[in-house]
Amino acid sequence: MGSLTPSLAGAGGAPPTVIAAGGNPPAAAIGAWLVQLGTVISLVGLSWDIQWHIEVGPDTFFTLSHLALYSGSALSGITSLVMVLRSTAAQRAGRPLGREVGGAGVRVFGGAFSAPLGYLLSGVGAASFLIYGLLDLWWHSIYGFDAVLNTPSHVALFLSILLTMVGVVVTFAAGGERTWARTGLTLAIPIVITFAPIPFTALSDLPIPLDPMQLGSILCAPTLLIMARMVLGRWGAVRVAVTLGGLQAVLWWFSSWATESYAAAIGLPLRDNLRASAPQLPSLIPFFALVVAVVIEGLLRLGRTGRLSPSVLTPLLGSAAGLLIAVSLPIQLDLTDPTTHTSAGELVILPVFGLVLGLAAGYLGTRLGVLLKVVDR
Amino acid sequence: MTRRVVLVLVIALALVAGSATPGLAYAPVDIVHTEQVQAGPYTITVGFSTWPIRAMRSLDFTFAPAGGITGKSGLLTIAAPGSGNRRGLSRLVRHPRKRDVWGLDVFALDKPGAYTFGFLLDGPQGRGEGSLPGLQVLDQPGPPLPLSWSVASLPLIALIGLIAVAWRRVRPGRRVRYTLEA
Repeated sequence: MGSLTPSLAGAGGAPPTVIAAGGNPPAAAIGAWLVQLGTVISLVGLSWDIQWHIEVGPDTFFTLSHLALYSGSALSGITSLVMVLRSTAAQRAGRPLGREVGGAGVRVFGGAFSAPLGYLLSGVGAASFLIYGLLDLWWHSIYGFDAVLNTPSHVALFLSILLTMVGVVVTFAAGGERTWARTGLTLAIPIVITFAPIPFTALSDLPIPLDPMQLGSILCAPTLLIMARMVLGRWGAVRVAVTLGGLQAVLWWFSSWATESYAAAIGLPLRDNLRASAPQLPSLIPFFALVVAVVIEGLLRLGRTGRLSPSVLTPLLGSAAGLLIAVSLPIQLDLTDPTTHTSAGELVILPVFGLVLGLAAGYLGTRLGVLLKVVDR
Repeated sequence: MTRRVVLVLVIALALVAGSATPGLAYAPVDIVHTEQVQAGPYTITVGFSTWPIRAMRSLDFTFAPAGGITGKSGLLTIAAPGSGNRRGLSRLVRHPRKRDVWGLDVFALDKPGAYTFGFLLDGPQGRGEGSLPGLQVLDQPGPPLPLSWSVASLPLIALIGLIAVAWRRVRPGRRVRYTLEA
């Protein structure tokens, strides 16, 4: 295992590689964006696969949506490996890469490799995806090829993809104020907001009064929007929320279109009992993230004017964001699937969960933002 | 060296793409056990693709009324063991991989015990109701679930561990104020 010992920039007296004119070393940008492309392909593949099982059904190891899932992780993993090898070679040659290339270096296997933190995370996530893919195959050989999300092997695969996505966030955060890095981060955070609630399906068998993915949304969306504001600065949360809306629109259109086009192309009919409901994964993305982002920006503006002390601001940010996401869920559910019904009990419980998880989100979001701010130092 | 790596990757991708003929490998619905249910004037043959049934192990169920499904419609209820609770009331629909009968594809019953499948059919001979009681589902196969979930949670533990190490080094709480004011 590796140890978290920053060892690159300036280590051993060797200066970091000088950044090219314009401050954008192409390899750093290309590496980061290739790993991000892998996570985008994985996310699109998952949304497509979920929709495929809802609307069509029959599948094999080689359905296109499965291939998208695998190739996304493969692209992220291979790129991460190349970047780690590149970093190791540069370190050995006495010309260590700058920390804008994936962040601080981590000594892996007793110093045999020098892995930038972001690429280490995304690479470990991709390798873990491969290993848990084998576990998934074994699981299906025992339990059959059912298409439910909340099996241990599926949740492990989701967590592996999530690890890669977190690695991408760290990699772009390490790029600091460079345009490619800030643009990349503005897309990487919405990807995590979309994906992070999915592993919460692991809680499905626990006696909690809410859908576990809703619980995940109430915790993750506020945490990540607050984190975005901390690391991207003014209007950072709003930019991330707008990008999230764009991502939602693309997934919304693509998931149904790809499912129906692919089924038609290979001559498979749609299921008999299809209801006119929204595509599942994109309809779980919070609709009102932009409102939450504007509230976050507004509260921070009040903070800057001195009307709110920082000790009040953090819990206020979190609880307001959590509450807004929670109370908007029934509206979102009603808009996407009018046949569902939110009970009176749920209407009472949702704000309580919103406040409590929101407080946690405020605490976590501000601190994760600070961690990302210093990842390139 | 780089050319060789690229060549190997291209060949690997071509092999995957070439072998990805989706229509080839859809598993057929092989029924290995059947039960008969009388729902009023209708006889329904309930088919199972694995037998005996085990909890959490998915299988294909088929529901074939004598004379075919044309001109008939129906509802299915599944009563869980002990509770008598009915798991939804769903319309009988064609099995996606065996379109001449109704069915449930790769469907698992989660808990062991005796289930009851209830049927309500409408057709040319009017309405008929019947059930298949005492459908025994044995214990789940495979390792205990807590062990499976423990193995599955390793990536999460790794992520939490990493955040904990970074947290201890940076102590982000001390810098929140400065960042909030920026």
